[in-house]
Amino acid sequence: MATSKKVITREEWEKKLNAVKLRKEDMNTLVMNFLVTEGFVEAADKFQRESGTKRILFFLLCDFHLCLVKVSFFLNGETAEIDLATITDRMAVKKAVQNGNVEDAIEKVNDLNPEILDTNPELFFHLQQQRLIELIRQGKTDEALEFAQEELAPRGEENQAFLQELEKTVALLVFEDASNCPVKDLLDVSHRLKTASEVNAAILTSQSHEKDPKLPSLLKMLIWAQNQLDEKAVYPHINDLSTGLLQDPSE
Amino acid sequence: MPTTTSSSSSAASSSGNRQADVFSRLASSDPEVKLKALREVKNQIIGNRTKKQSFLKLGAVPAIASALSECDNSSILVQSAAALGSFACGFEAGVQAVIDAGAFPRLLRLLTSSDEKVVDAGARSLRMIFQSNQAPKYDFLQEKNMEFLFSLLNSENENVSGLGASIIAHACGTTVEQQLLCDAGVLEKLVILLDGSLSQREACLESLATVLKSNPEAVSRFVGLEAGRYLSSVTELTKDRYPRTRLLSCLCLVVIYNTSPSYFLNMGTKSSLVTTLLELLNDPGQSGNEAALGLSSLIAEKEDLQKLAYEANAIKNIVDILKTGSELHPKRLQGLFLSLAELCSKLEDCRCSFLSLEVLDLLVNALRHKNADVRTAACICFKNAARSVKNLSAGRFTTDHVMLPLVQLLHDPSSAVQVAVLGALSNIVLDFSSPKSTFIEYGGIKQLIELSKSMDPNARCSALRALRNLMFLADNKRKELFYSDVKAQGFASLISDPEPTVQEQALALLRNLVDGCINSIEFVFDEDGLILDSVARQLRKAPQAQMAIQGMYVLTNVASGTELHKEAVMQQLFPQPQAESNNFMLKFLQSHESQLRSATVWTVINLISPSSPGALDRHVKLRNEGIIPQLKNMVNDACLDVKIRIRTVLSQSMSFGDN
Repeated sequence: MATSKKVITREEWEKKLNAVKLRKEDMNTLVMNFLVTEGFVEAADKFQRESGTKRILFFLLCDFHLCLVKVSFFLNGETAEIDLATITDRMAVKKAVQNGNVEDAIEKVNDLNPEILDTNPELFFHLQQQRLIELIRQGKTDEALEFAQEELAPRGEENQAFLQELEKTVALLVFEDASNCPVKDLLDVSHRLKTASEVNAAILTSQSHEKDPKLPSLLKMLIWAQNQLDEKAVYPHINDLSTGLLQDPSE
Repeated sequence: MPTTTSSSSSAASSSGNRQADVFSRLASSDPEVKLKALREVKNQIIGNRTKKQSFLKLGAVPAIASALSECDNSSILVQSAAALGSFACGFEAGVQAVIDAGAFPRLLRLLTSSDEKVVDAGARSLRMIFQSNQAPKYDFLQEKNMEFLFSLLNSENENVSGLGASIIAHACGTTVEQQLLCDAGVLEKLVILLDGSLSQREACLESLATVLKSNPEAVSRFVGLEAGRYLSSVTELTKDRYPRTRLLSCLCLVVIYNTSPSYFLNMGTKSSLVTTLLELLNDPGQSGNEAALGLSSLIAEKEDLQKLAYEANAIKNIVDILKTGSELHPKRLQGLFLSLAELCSKLEDCRCSFLSLEVLDLLVNALRHKNADVRTAACICFKNAARSVKNLSAGRFTTDHVMLPLVQLLHDPSSAVQVAVLGALSNIVLDFSSPKSTFIEYGGIKQLIELSKSMDPNARCSALRALRNLMFLADNKRKELFYSDVKAQGFASLISDPEPTVQEQALALLRNLVDGCINSIEFVFDEDGLILDSVARQLRKAPQAQMAIQGMYVLTNVASGTELHKEAVMQQLFPQPQAESNNFMLKFLQSHESQLRSATVWTVINLISPSSPGALDRHVKLRNEGIIPQLKNMVNDACLDVKIRIRTVLSQSMSFGDN
């Protein structure tokens, strides 16, 4: 097809790859960042001790000689030891939401940092909303109604942007069989996970960690770079990210 | 909401009961019970403005403040401090209550605790207080306060150092304070925070903006630190992943740019600053509000930046935001309208573009907004948009739909709004394309006359400016509307107003009034020549150039009348006896202001115009007073306009047989 494209053999390709120098410390930091952000406390603790990883500063540079695509990537972070206790607290909050114990989660967040919910009206609204959903799920209709009036309605008054979501949630109360109504997605477990994720991100931000781990971004960058290079050359791809194996171009 | 009145009232009363119950437990002597109650209150109010208000009414704040001072129990201290901090968070009445309850010094004491959690809680709460306008004044001039401040900035604890930066950000107001802080090395301390945590970075950016604002020395010190490294850091932060960091760094750069633009020679930086702020306008929260005001401040008076913004599609973006229909925060509305006003201030393309987007309804609604700042901003927007002669003469601004709300604002309780709407009307009444004036039909002249008597000098000045424009090339009928409500006495007092700007506008108005047919001139002779006397008196007082120019044109116009008129002018110019030092005509001819020289020469031209019988005598007089010789010396005046008038005078002079 694209006869104008340069063809690179596997041998040539592997030679170029081997010429790129990576440091072990950088890869350790990347793994550490992933474990911390995703909340794998024990693993992070063990890994920290076994690898002696402290700094979270990472620099990756790949130079594709042919098409002069420079892919550089900076990871900023603190240059201090990670306080694993804060990960535990954060994970406790996330878990509480995932289990539907929203009130407990709110108390934990407030113990961790009272500013988070005071300065994040959207997050606070979503937590209150989740509380309402849990009450409805448990069939406590009266309590749910009272909660909606006392806690959620004022949020809608304070901030018009929430009214639409509020109406959707209250709609759950109207239907006899909430699990089959137009807004039934709200009752889905995935909604709990969504809320949990939101809280996790907010806590991470307040602790000055990056919200998302770096590893997925790097992999996305890899795929993008391959797509870019595809326009100019034929070369061995990494098609399966989980194995990272090079596969010859299928022609 | 699907409720009935009975269930809503029962919900309200049961929640009220619960609150009262918690409140009573706050006063318990049992520390366990008290701690539990404190935690409960704290968890109820965080994020919940409604609960803050109701607990406030119950008197919870003093109760919690006393818990703060009574115990050494760390847990109680932490919970009390956190609760008080939450009351103070973004809630002005809460801040006031916390301060009134005497909690402030107690919170300060927490900072010295050995328990890190107590320190954190105290620092956070204090930071909330300092973000409010009600925060106690921090006296930077006292040495112990400076020491304390720097001890905060030096702290390892990020909440404490953030508090130090917050105090600076919100309490530093004057140049003296800025200087003191810089001399004590605050910039060096603050920039360290740039490399710190997110909240430290943000606190640093806010405080930098405060210290550098309008202070070129401070800016140059900042830029000089490590050869501009920190200026680059702040510039980099405008591309940060967190919107609030992007906003604060932009605002910091706006401050630097407005103070010392020379550090921004690179067009690319200017351009990206404009586009970043434009993007931030879409942020739904507090950042978006501040971005709007920041943008208006950045592009104010700067044609090149206005052009950049226009090319980046700013007008369409802003109008789209305004048209979204959801209720926008007043600060955001103010910022957006001010930005539009700045965009329209100098560039005709912007004005046409703006007006082509069906924005009149938007603007008219804003004129009726309950917030005075929004009304003011909308008026300024109107004023600048009306600078477009093309749109003005198309009658866009003189429809009832627009004119009525504008005229109504003349009665606005806020004087800032009055001044702003007068500015808008001053431009709008310059629509000469229509034979009738909608404004006048709405009784506008009467209202302007009323406002010319306002206590606020800005309002007087603006009202007179609007009248001046209204009377430009006006026919007698229109002038009559003015005279029916203003008598010589009243007008003379405007000419002698304490404010020079008011005097100037009064004279300019008078100039327009006496311009036209000869009958117009009579006004200055009413009540024994009261007004003419006032004009001459002002001119004798060594006035500022702008005022003198208007005054001389008044005399020019009067001197264009009958013999009697010309003689009266001569009387005023050279009353007998008069010391030579009072010969203001001579002084004006020697002025650096070319317009003043020109106006004075015009007066002479009219006084000695050969067609009138007494011209020769007046010529003799002018020669004796040194005026004609002075004019002869000005044959090669630097200003072309003056030169041409001098030629006219000299040819008149020669016709009297003078060389």
